[in-house]
Amino acid sequence: MKIPQMISAAKRGTLSRRAFTQSLLAVGIVPVISQVAPQRARASGTRHATVFTWGGFDVPELYQDYVEKHGDLPDFAIFGAPEDGLTRLRSGFAADLIHPCMGDIPRWRSTGLFQPIDTSRLSNWPDVIPTLYQAPHNLDDADGGVWQVPFDWGQTSITYRTDLYDLEGEESWDILWDERYAGRIGMLASGDDAWWCAAIKAGVSFDQIHTDEAFEAIAAVLRAQRPLVRTYTDDTSSLNQALAAGEMVAAMTWNSSAVELTFEEVPVRFAQPKEGALTWVCGFMMTQNAPSPDSAYDVLDALLSVSAGEFLTGDYGYGHSNARVLELFDDEELAALTLSRDPADILDAGHRSIPQPPEWSARMNTLYEQIKAGF
Amino acid sequence: MEESPSAARMPLRNRLQGVLIRHESLRGFLLLAPALVILGITVAVPFLLMSAMSLWTQIGFDYADDWSLRNYTAILTEPLYTTLLLRSLTMAMVATFVTVVLVYPMAYFLAFHVHSNKLIWLIIITLPFWTSYLLRVFAWRVILGYEGVINSGLMELGLIGEPLQFLLYSRVAVIITLAHAWAAFAFLPIYVSLEKIDKSMLEASADLGEPPVMRFFRVILPLSMPGVIAGTFLMFIPTVGDYVTPTLVGGPDAAMIGNLIQLQFGTINNWPMGAALAITMILSITLVGLFFMALMHGLRRWAR
Repeated sequence: MKIPQMISAAKRGTLSRRAFTQSLLAVGIVPVISQVAPQRARASGTRHATVFTWGGFDVPELYQDYVEKHGDLPDFAIFGAPEDGLTRLRSGFAADLIHPCMGDIPRWRSTGLFQPIDTSRLSNWPDVIPTLYQAPHNLDDADGGVWQVPFDWGQTSITYRTDLYDLEGEESWDILWDERYAGRIGMLASGDDAWWCAAIKAGVSFDQIHTDEAFEAIAAVLRAQRPLVRTYTDDTSSLNQALAAGEMVAAMTWNSSAVELTFEEVPVRFAQPKEGALTWVCGFMMTQNAPSPDSAYDVLDALLSVSAGEFLTGDYGYGHSNARVLELFDDEELAALTLSRDPADILDAGHRSIPQPPEWSARMNTLYEQIKAGF
Repeated sequence: MEESPSAARMPLRNRLQGVLIRHESLRGFLLLAPALVILGITVAVPFLLMSAMSLWTQIGFDYADDWSLRNYTAILTEPLYTTLLLRSLTMAMVATFVTVVLVYPMAYFLAFHVHSNKLIWLIIITLPFWTSYLLRVFAWRVILGYEGVINSGLMELGLIGEPLQFLLYSRVAVIITLAHAWAAFAFLPIYVSLEKIDKSMLEASADLGEPPVMRFFRVILPLSMPGVIAGTFLMFIPTVGDYVTPTLVGGPDAAMIGNLIQLQFGTINNWPMGAALAITMILSITLVGLFFMALMHGLRRWAR
């Protein structure tokens, strides 16, 4: 029984006594095993890789192959936004793998903190969907490796309560700018999502996003929205709880919020705005001074496996980079998750952010913080 | 220096002893040495580095050490920085004032009216501070939240039809949380200074015909002032720069200077600006502190 199903069964009061005892048993076994397992791993002499990622990507389901080989999970460090993670790496934090998105790659590479990944060391690489990594800035010219191994893809869009939000006409970004619901709108605090979505709302074409006019237009749109916003946060569980409670009627989220709330039987929909959603591909980059590169390759291989992908798509609603994962779901299921058999269908239907220089990022983030603070 | 020939013949150990006995300040410095070394490494050196960095400029992922006051000019001229700085100082002041006023009666009760098992009382009063700071802040989210204890209680009683929105994600929420989370820092010094008051002074003032209210204002309060001042500082200084509480319970209107400093070192990626903001914050706390001390000094002279 999967955890979200179990929670919703417990809420309905239909959780059987047997299932309850099973879960109690599982809860009891984990602390006992966790005392023994690390010792075994230490005995086998492996040094665990450190994975620096988003909250929610530190679950055992995604690392099954790694656990089988090394006896335990890799070490984790969690960031709120990848930019914070990069800052920590730059100030000397030693991690092996970090989880940014495609548009960050050129800027991140310019720090000299990363090394290309040798794809011949990944047994699952032949199954990886080529459109997800074949961007010119991601391919390493020298040895044919890649800078980032793609892992998850999806959309940044709007999750709204179908029972509380009165939709007029088509789904559109206007939902997050709806003055009828002032104080009940949630926003992502990270400019990497919010700024680009506001650009779509403002009608700014992404290839013009570096111009002064674009900065002005996007800032104006975000300033207009601020009085309506309950809170800006990157903590998806805060947004999910607020949506479930009806504190918010709509929020800017990634796929997983809508999927998790649906598991909890909250009436929500992940909007397909008529202007197009923001689409993204994220993945893992390896640091130049990775302390345990061999374990890091095993982590990457585990992440690319079908079992990891089945969990990522089935439970979180994100697309996975392994083509064979998509075969496990029928068209209807994929449509319900707002995914498609060919990632390009979804990715190209929406808008994909374009890599920008560090100066642009600094300017954008400074301005977005000013707007959030009310200036 | 007549004794020097004989001193030269003395063993080194005795000579050192002699020096130590004669120079009291040297003894003091030697005893302080471990603390001074740590203070130097963890406070003075980082402060100097930060001061230097605050005069640089961020360019992409690098710094230009062009030594300019550009960051400070921006802080003084752009409304974002001044507003957040003033807001942080005001919110910390309000939180500190509320806390001192609320914990003073508690400390008074414990110092004068509890005669047995004081330790148990102390433990009970400080019990919330045995948990992590983060947990206490999260507890307030549960209490103040949309479906929180207060809202659901009031709804149950039929006093409100819809949950109160201003409880969470507001400046009020930040002030309430700060006042609770830091209460022990104000409570303990006040309690200690009240506890130290010689009880015979109170008897003397009663014997001389002072009514209880005047006794409080003319004897107890002035004698406990050192504790109140210490508690105020202990709470005010860290709360100005707090960023966890506004992040978790403050909404868009309750952001404080600590949040902005954290962002400069994180997402915004402008470390020189972050350093300049931190230095400005330290300086403004010092200014407010000096002003407060002068105020207290003036009050004391006026009271005499």
